[in-house]
Amino acid sequence: MSINPELRRRSVLTGATALAAAPAVIGARAEAAAMPRDLTVAVPDNLVTLDPADANDTLSQGSCRLMLEGLYGFDENMKIIPKLATGYKANAMATEFTFTLHQGVKFHDGTPFNAEAVKINLERIANPANHLKRQSLLSVLDHVEVVNEHTAKVVLKTPFGAFIPTVAHPALALSSPAAIKKYGKDLGRNPVGTGPFIFTSWTPDTLKVHASPHYWVKGLPHMRTVTIRSVPENGSRLAMLQTGEAQYIFPMPPELVATIAHNPKITLVNRQSIIIHGAAMNTMKKPFNDVRVRQALNYAVDKEAFIKIVYNGYADQMDSPEPPLLSFYKKQGAWPYDVAKAKKLLAEAGYPNGFETEMWGANNTLVIRGMQFLQQQFAAVGVKLKVSPLEVGLLISKVYAAPNPQEATVQMNYGGWSSSTGDADWGLRPLFTKEAFPPKMFNVAYLDDPAVNKDIADGLHTADPKARAAAYADAQKRIWQDCPWVWLDIDRIVDARASNLQGAYRLPDGGLLLNDAHFA
Amino acid sequence: MLGYFLRRLGGTIPVLLAVSLFAFGFVRLLPGDPARLIAGPDATLQDVQAVRERLGLDQPLWQQYVRYMASTVRLSLGTSARSGQPVLTEIGERFMPTFNLSVVAMVWSCIVGVGLGVLSGVKRGNWIDQGSMVVAVSGISFPSFWLGLLLIDLCSVRLGWLPTGGDHDWKSYVMPAFTLGLPAAAVMARFTRSAFVEVAQEDYVRTARSKGLPERVVIWRHAFRNALIPVLTLAGLQFGFLLGGAIVIETVFSWPGLGRLLVESVSYRDYPVIQAEILLFSTEFVLINLLIDLLYAVVNPEIRLR
Repeated sequence: MSINPELRRRSVLTGATALAAAPAVIGARAEAAAMPRDLTVAVPDNLVTLDPADANDTLSQGSCRLMLEGLYGFDENMKIIPKLATGYKANAMATEFTFTLHQGVKFHDGTPFNAEAVKINLERIANPANHLKRQSLLSVLDHVEVVNEHTAKVVLKTPFGAFIPTVAHPALALSSPAAIKKYGKDLGRNPVGTGPFIFTSWTPDTLKVHASPHYWVKGLPHMRTVTIRSVPENGSRLAMLQTGEAQYIFPMPPELVATIAHNPKITLVNRQSIIIHGAAMNTMKKPFNDVRVRQALNYAVDKEAFIKIVYNGYADQMDSPEPPLLSFYKKQGAWPYDVAKAKKLLAEAGYPNGFETEMWGANNTLVIRGMQFLQQQFAAVGVKLKVSPLEVGLLISKVYAAPNPQEATVQMNYGGWSSSTGDADWGLRPLFTKEAFPPKMFNVAYLDDPAVNKDIADGLHTADPKARAAAYADAQKRIWQDCPWVWLDIDRIVDARASNLQGAYRLPDGGLLLNDAHFA
Repeated sequence: MLGYFLRRLGGTIPVLLAVSLFAFGFVRLLPGDPARLIAGPDATLQDVQAVRERLGLDQPLWQQYVRYMASTVRLSLGTSARSGQPVLTEIGERFMPTFNLSVVAMVWSCIVGVGLGVLSGVKRGNWIDQGSMVVAVSGISFPSFWLGLLLIDLCSVRLGWLPTGGDHDWKSYVMPAFTLGLPAAAVMARFTRSAFVEVAQEDYVRTARSKGLPERVVIWRHAFRNALIPVLTLAGLQFGFLLGGAIVIETVFSWPGLGRLLVESVSYRDYPVIQAEILLFSTEFVLINLLIDLLYAVVNPEIRLR
């Protein structure tokens, strides 16, 4: 048995800071009496469901987080923090995880939170008969044992070292067992959790929640109500912030940043994300089966100019297949912009005059702009790129149409990824291992490096952070050198908020976190 | 007239059955796999399969059709593939905002459009005529997203008079109804004018004048009534289009209407919702046409409905 020391330390630390901050909070509360306590957030999309186990979009997940919590969760930097669990122990094989639970917590409908509730929730998600969209997250689950009222033991079918990040995933937030029973398939319209806010209403494009008076974390929440409104047009969202109808909007289109630069009431939010972009190359087919060609194209792209032109500067360069905020990230260095070297490598690979190829991508402005930029850069080294922007439905069916690598017609594919668990496993395994060839998962580059496959499997088969770190460090080094993608950028979270709003965040994966939001 | 109405109503049933068949075939001709789109961007094959089974898309096409027709005939229309909600609920929530906005836009654009049209038809060639036609042509030519954003910037951000969007109270109707109705009003004005000009040259108008009737009576009782027939047809068509939901207006003013729902359901290949919307829009058109036919008889008793 081993206890994850990092997590334990963190929970102790949070306790300490909470104590130290207590008098300050009381003072602030008296002062805050006159402050407005209603928050409106304007978002581009519509909510799909409020059943987190059936949600696959970051907006639905982030909205669920207002009302529901899991055993573990994320802080604003996507570091894992304990929520309804006080700690856990894992066996060395990473097949058994025993969680100790917070005592005295109740769901909004009065149902007590206990080990039985954990069992009902996790087994509900894992049961294929329920056809929940997030079932695969828990397909490793064998069963949950109720050890006692406040201890639950989760038993897995196979070793799974990334289980704690999975438990922190918003899809594994816990619903009231009574509500699961009462609402059945309509749970997605009637969320009942233990979170800081209670569900009020959800009309087509507006979600309203109100503060829970009995929230188990003392002093939270600060807001009386939170409203999330879908406002698809960029200009209209910004107008809402300017008129005060909304206090937080996302995303803030980079081309509109100048219009708020001199407005003291509005503050730009500019944070790191874990959303990466790149152009996958089909490593099984000519010309991309030659690593020199793939490296040449990485040399051929001026990443700095790419970020300036495509993202108006609001992005970071990649320096590893993982973005820095993902667990077990290891910096690898950069592929510098070097046209001469690119040409030399292409000549060595037998393409002194370049070649012709095609790139697929989505048909939104950013992707088209990105692909056109690559077209120009590739032309400088003799590579003629045909750019094919496709409607998303069509793009997906083209990429996943091939039942095996031999029949794949993809040459290059402009895509992105964000690991929704914040863990290295889900950041690497779905993109760069043999088991992830389409149509199963997203290894559109068809990278099949036995050493990488082994590293990533090793990382999953232990819960020991040191062993995992070593495995993922090796995997990142190999993948970075092997260049299955033209590595392009890490997006930034670019939002705007009322200057007096504090504690409202979007996580590095794009999900909302408003538990601590308050006006100052 | 009641017999006529019932017969026409009965005649719509085969039309709607044909439309439902067309809708079923049409959505399945769209490229793209609904199960994969609905399962989401980081769904594994396992997740995609689960969604496919839940939606019944793993069944043979004829079974899907039988299931669809059974629910259509019972008017239940199935459940949304994306949200799992009954389609009736999804569409019901969106229908009233679209309907209310369409009615407000239609009412003002009819009054202003027909009024301007008659004015310029009567005072052909003078400044009123030219002025209102300039307004009309501008109304048709302004792109509505541009006008909408301009209005938001002026009335909400700078003046603070009106909310930027949503469908909360009467204030939130002002800008979207204006923007939505403007092109309709412009078309109506131009159409009314030409219909009026044409009718004014008819023999019975000259006869009415030569009888010594006052100009007011000539215009309103004789010319206007007859000129109104083609204008009514146009108004019906316009109203039908408005009820389909105005995607641009709904987007700019974050109006929770049917247009946005259609765009979303198409991008996720949410078959039941797309099918239901096609069926709804067709039904609306059929009913409006019927209503306009009835109105002909009200406007001009010479027209008999048989």
